[in-house]
Amino acid sequence: MRKKKLGLLLTGVMMVGLLAGCGGKSEDSPSPSGNAAGTAQETAPKETVKLKFFTGKVETVDLMNTLIQKFNSENPGIEVEQEYQKDASNVIKVKFASGDIPDITTVVEQDYIDQGKYLDLSNEPFWPRVLPAVKELSTDVKSGKQYQVATNVTMAGIFYNKKIFQELGLKEALTWDEFKANLQAIKDKKPDVTPLFIAGRESWTLGHLIEFLAHGIIKQDLGVKSSREAFINNESDKLKFDQENGPIDTFAKRLLELQAAGLINKDALTATYDNQKEAFATGKAAMISQGMWVVADLLKISPDFQSDLGFSPYPSIQDGTKPVVLSADDSRYAITAESKHPEEAKKFLEFLLQPENLKTYSEFLKSPPAFTDVTADWGPLKEQANQALSSGVNIAFTDSPSGFSGDDAGRMVQELLAGQYANSLDFAKAYKDAWDKAWKATHR
Amino acid sequence: MNLLRKLWNNLHLFMALPAILLFGLFFIYPLAQGIGISLTDSNGMAPPRFIGLQNFVDFFHDARAKKDVYNTVFFAIGSAPLLNVFGFLYALILDRPFKGKGFVRAVVYLPAVISPLIMGYVWYFILQPDRGFLYHLLASLHLGTGGSDWLGNANSALIVLVFINVWQFVGMTMIIYLAGLQSIPKELYEAGEIDGAGYLKSLWYITIPMVVQSIKINVVTNIIGSLSVFEVIVALTDGGPGYSTESLSIYILRMLYGSFTGYSTAVAMILFVMIIIPVFLFMRYINKKEFEM
Repeated sequence: MRKKKLGLLLTGVMMVGLLAGCGGKSEDSPSPSGNAAGTAQETAPKETVKLKFFTGKVETVDLMNTLIQKFNSENPGIEVEQEYQKDASNVIKVKFASGDIPDITTVVEQDYIDQGKYLDLSNEPFWPRVLPAVKELSTDVKSGKQYQVATNVTMAGIFYNKKIFQELGLKEALTWDEFKANLQAIKDKKPDVTPLFIAGRESWTLGHLIEFLAHGIIKQDLGVKSSREAFINNESDKLKFDQENGPIDTFAKRLLELQAAGLINKDALTATYDNQKEAFATGKAAMISQGMWVVADLLKISPDFQSDLGFSPYPSIQDGTKPVVLSADDSRYAITAESKHPEEAKKFLEFLLQPENLKTYSEFLKSPPAFTDVTADWGPLKEQANQALSSGVNIAFTDSPSGFSGDDAGRMVQELLAGQYANSLDFAKAYKDAWDKAWKATHR
Repeated sequence: MNLLRKLWNNLHLFMALPAILLFGLFFIYPLAQGIGISLTDSNGMAPPRFIGLQNFVDFFHDARAKKDVYNTVFFAIGSAPLLNVFGFLYALILDRPFKGKGFVRAVVYLPAVISPLIMGYVWYFILQPDRGFLYHLLASLHLGTGGSDWLGNANSALIVLVFINVWQFVGMTMIIYLAGLQSIPKELYEAGEIDGAGYLKSLWYITIPMVVQSIKINVVTNIIGSLSVFEVIVALTDGGPGYSTESLSIYILRMLYGSFTGYSTAVAMILFVMIIIPVFLFMRYINKKEFEM
């Protein structure tokens, strides 16, 4: 009986609610809609332009969000949206194919330049402000035009723990033997410390090893311009990917040497980038191979680590070659040719290139600005970076075919470390095959 | 009037129209287009050229693809039967009356609600050597095996993947079997008892034939699901180390991301056939069986 009453009551309440809802609607609705129509006719409403910013740079996602917020509030009528993808250089391909094209992106690949996917930025007013070396790296070798602009210079090399080095009396290694001796000394005297920590689950960090160490040999042999041409045009007689004791073969041998001697972490295949940063910043690993982009995170994990942070070039992995250090254009931006709002995208790019914002960016990233009119206090490595630049040959990033990204190369290194190649030369041959296949897919 | 009646009599045809339209739009049309693309060397950007069956020929000379077929089939042969057997056993046990039945069922079903991606990441952190939960657990019990890198070794990684998949989706299979079990009229068992059938006999002659609809649903969805496995692998091993746990669906995506659109589509067609054949054979078998019963 009681239940029935409650039910009736509830039904009653609902009915009243419904009626009230209807009543309210019929009374109120005409006036606002009338108003809206009125204003629409008077001031021809400016529709908000939505810009899509597509990035593969995980370390700048938060920073870009704050910069975007600033831009959006300064520019009513334009709304920038950020999209981050882990495998961005591959994902953008699907975006191009499906017509879901971002307006501005950090992903720049030679193949896409060749396909005319980017807007020509050669005549933009900011070029005189850019460092000449960076401008050269931003210039397309084929057309001589600039389809991209970089905001920073980044470096990559060996980061080491100074405290451990001092304790054991070690010096920065320039040759492979010195490098291995250092690692061995750490292993012998500090058994709890991983000599060289490799983050192998993240295939990009392994891809970088190939890009810097193996390609480093090619890049220093041929020099900046002609090595870029060799990669872009796949000049196999210059690249010598599959040659015995060539760059790839040597690299594979060296890596397997380290693995066999137990000088890298046991979980080199499954450790993540976060594990690597954690282990290094807390002193559980003595060395890592990374780029400047890692510094901000390291200091976030352990702020006192700054004084222990050392940076040196990669040792030469082959006799007769020199140590190398990556010193290249970083944080590249390109505007897509098919963007529906190129003017607004340029406006956003101009905003990013304002000295004030470049300073913020550079200080956040702890890497030097590529613009001459920006003075940034970019971090603890300033001096060591200069030293590394003078003791190692400066190399740039590799222009690889879009079907063979750093991730793809990294997966092959995973296979190598998992023991899936009979020997280093097999690996070198497989590497050449994969590279050629990807290159042919877009050059026909 | 006549027209109206005619319309009324044929209403069922019109009722099916939206379904047919949707089926055409989202299945037949993409399939046809896919077959078209799979016959070209499309790289997703430049205009594609017709190359006949070259992509399909390439597939049979592609070592990585072979490995992926092996991984996918291994995963499916590992998962599908285990899921069905354990799902059925769970259903049988949890169909009996006991206290807290609802709670136990919910616990078994729960993992299926969570996204396989998240589940994979959680397991990843459990299984990491030296850092993972399992390592600390085993270390505190003075068992040293937690230090080994389960996911870094190609063979153990595949087995771990099967295990996690079965653990996660056994609840889903169970629910469907439970529904089947509960639709069996109690009179059948009573009659069986009178005729002197023991538990195993009534299981074989009453329960299994009566849940044949559930078996159909479960086997088919498990075959489809495990042959097109994607998320759990991405989360747990990302197909690694190297390509040793890569499944065909991950390969398809990676080829598509690279510059091999035509080839990727061809592989998708092959996977489609790989899924259709066992499903078709099973359906034919079970329908025949059902008819006999």
